[in-house]
This record gives sequence, structure tokens and C-alpha cells, in this order.
Amino acid sequence: MTRRTWNLAIGIVLVVGVVWLWAGRIPAAEPAAGGSGLPPAPALGHPAPDIKLTTVTGETFALSSLRGKPVVLNFWATWCPPCRAELPELQAASQRYTGQLDIIGVNQAEPAEGVAAFAQQFGLTFPIPLDTNADTSRRYAVRSLPTTFFIDRNGIIRQIQSGPLTEATLAQALKKIFP
Amino acid sequence: MSPVLQIGPLALPTYPISLLVAFWAGLALSARVARHLGVDGDHIWNAGLYGLLATIIVGRLAHGIEFWPAYIMQPLDIVGLNAQAFLWGPGALAGLLVAAWYIHRHKLPWATVLDAAAPGVLAGLIIANLGALLVGNDVGTPATLLWAVEIWGVSRHPVQLYAALGELIALAVVLHALCKPSRPGTAALLGLVGWGLTTWLVEPFRAESSAVVTGIRLWQVIGLAAALAALWVLRRRAVAADPPRVVEPSS
Repeated sequence: MTRRTWNLAIGIVLVVGVVWLWAGRIPAAEPAAGGSGLPPAPALGHPAPDIKLTTVTGETFALSSLRGKPVVLNFWATWCPPCRAELPELQAASQRYTGQLDIIGVNQAEPAEGVAAFAQQFGLTFPIPLDTNADTSRRYAVRSLPTTFFIDRNGIIRQIQSGPLTEATLAQALKKIFP
Repeated sequence: MSPVLQIGPLALPTYPISLLVAFWAGLALSARVARHLGVDGDHIWNAGLYGLLATIIVGRLAHGIEFWPAYIMQPLDIVGLNAQAFLWGPGALAGLLVAAWYIHRHKLPWATVLDAAAPGVLAGLIIANLGALLVGNDVGTPATLLWAVEIWGVSRHPVQLYAALGELIALAVVLHALCKPSRPGTAALLGLVGWGLTTWLVEPFRAESSAVVTGIRLWQVIGLAAALAALWVLRRRAVAADPPRVVEPSS
């Protein structure tokens, strides 16, 4: 190729490149992180599917009632060692962020009496809805325990973590929903 | 979508496995090409594995620095097996620097090593993109096209497939260039042009992008800049090899 052909080729890439950069801008009406107009689903950028369950203390729990505050939705069970390891972190965070953040521990398919005794033993004070027949776990596509969803104040899922949380990974994930 | 490979009672996460396969396949291809170009393939394996080790160590240390109040409470977490506790940006930078240090220390020919690395990197990116498509990561914008894929109830551009296709074309160009006698570094520059143009072209179809200014997408800018820079170097080399003819004045 001659110098002239090279210059022409580079010039065309530059001009077309800038035009496509401009045409491909993120629309101002659409937030960069998505979420608007999508159906509820257990996926990043989607609204979190609503949950209506009874808690271990016998109260009715609805996830939609927490809209306006960031939520940490944790799926766990008493027989799961990594869940037991991370529960103190979640309890500490629920105390640290009282009134600013809701931590919810959905128990997967265990009898209420056993869960209540466990919660008392570990000093858990955050709400523990009982997913008695694991329907909610299936709707949230929970394939391993623990799994944690970080939901922002608009009800959009911003982070999903499979596996146990440590204080550091919890702090990292909270940055996405709790400015 | 298949986020988990179920083998009997064993549930293996698809995406991390696809990343491991991408890394292994990329290194294997690069080592093979390096041997073809007269460089010991073991050097490619060593540079890649030292780079990976540096990525992991620095990624975890960076996480420790960023979230040090949490690590002060539980210092043993710094050596824990938690796969989430990494900052991949600083880790990848350290990995590249260590690989570069290895190449410099063993006095390997830079241009030839980069030529060997180009097809491996592109092959790795293709596998990683296909893995992302399998699990529904890095999804595309909503679309009503015939070839749109449905992810969580929304039809979307299969943007991972677009990227893999662009990288496949770039890989074919690079392999073709390696088969012909050419100046060292040419294949690597062609690979950079291919990757840059693919990224520039595909990025607007991604549902989530980082913006620089006025909504312009960061990775699109990086892709275009990389492609233009590589084209410019190719031009300079071509022009230097074929200087313009000087017309002798007639007497």
C-alpha cells in the first residue's frame, strides 16, 4: 500500500470511528446501569422479584415494603457451614446500619422451631422469613448456599454473591447499593 | 443459560471454568506459535503463569488496602479462599508487568513474543465471550431481531457472540499473517487492530457500559484508540520499508 492509501485508510477509520462513538452514546434517559422497564428476575440490573413469606417470629414479610432503602437478601440454612460463618458479619452489619439498610436472611426449607432456636443461639435480630417449600429459592435461582443479593433503594439487583461473605467482601458489595 | 455444569452430584460454575479454559487454551496456542517462530514455548508458559500468580497476589493485596478496616478485624481473610475478594484492575496490571519483566529478563525478542501472544489472547477472549453468553453475563441491549437471545424474559442482542465473531475474524487474520513471511510484530499489530475495531463496533450493543463524557463509552474509545495506534505503526513500517520514489530532475 502506498503512503496515500495508508493515510486514506486511517482517515476513514478515524472519521467513521468518531461518528460511531457519537451514535453509540449511552442514552441520557436510560441509566448506565440499566434496570428501567425490565421484568423482575434474579439477575443484575433487573428489579428483584417480590417475596411474601412469614418470618420466624410469625410476622408477614414483603420485600416490596422495603422499597426506598437498600436491602441485603441472604439465602441460608442452619446445616450450611459457610452460612454459619457469615451470619455474624450480617448481624454486625444489621446493627451498624440500623435504619439505613435492611438485612434479610431467608431460611431455606427448615422447620420454624429449629430456625428460631438457632437465631436465638447466634443472637440474630434481623428478619428471617421462612421459605418453607423452597419456592422463593427456586424463583431466585439459588443453586448453592449461601447466596446473597444486594438490592438498591429502587429495588434493582446490583450484585449477586454465591458463597460466604467476609467483612471485606460485604463492604465491597455494599458500596454498590449504599453510597 | 447454563450457569452451572451439573456432573452427577457435582455442580461446577460455568463462567469461572470457561475463564480457566480460556487462559489455558490461550497460553497453549501462544506457546505453540512461539515454537513455530523460534522461541521456546516454555517461556510463554512461564511468563503466563508468573503473570497469573502476580495477578492473584496483587489483586488480593489491593483488596486488602481498599478495605483495610475489614481486614484489621479479620487479618487471616487476606489469605482466605474467597474468590470475590480481589481487585482485578491492579491485579491484571501487575500480571502484565511481571510477564513483561520475565520477557525482558530472559532477553526474549519482544516483537516475536507479541506475535506469538496475539493468537492466544484472541482465542482466550473468544472462549471467555462464549462462557459469558452461556451464563448470561455482560448482556446486550434489548432487541427484537431474529437472532436475539432471551435472558430473564428480555430478548437481547447476543453481544457476547458479536464480540466472539469479531475476535474470530481477527484471529484468522493474525494466523494468516503468521503463515506469511513478515516483519516481527506485524501479527501482533494486526491482532490489536482487530480487537480494537471489534470492541469499538460491539460496545454500543452492551447493556452496561462505563461512560467517559457525555455518554461516550469508555471501552469504545479505548478500542478505537488502540486500532488507530496500531494502524499508524503499521503505516510507518510499511512506508519505511517502501520509501517514496524520488524523481530525478531531467538535465
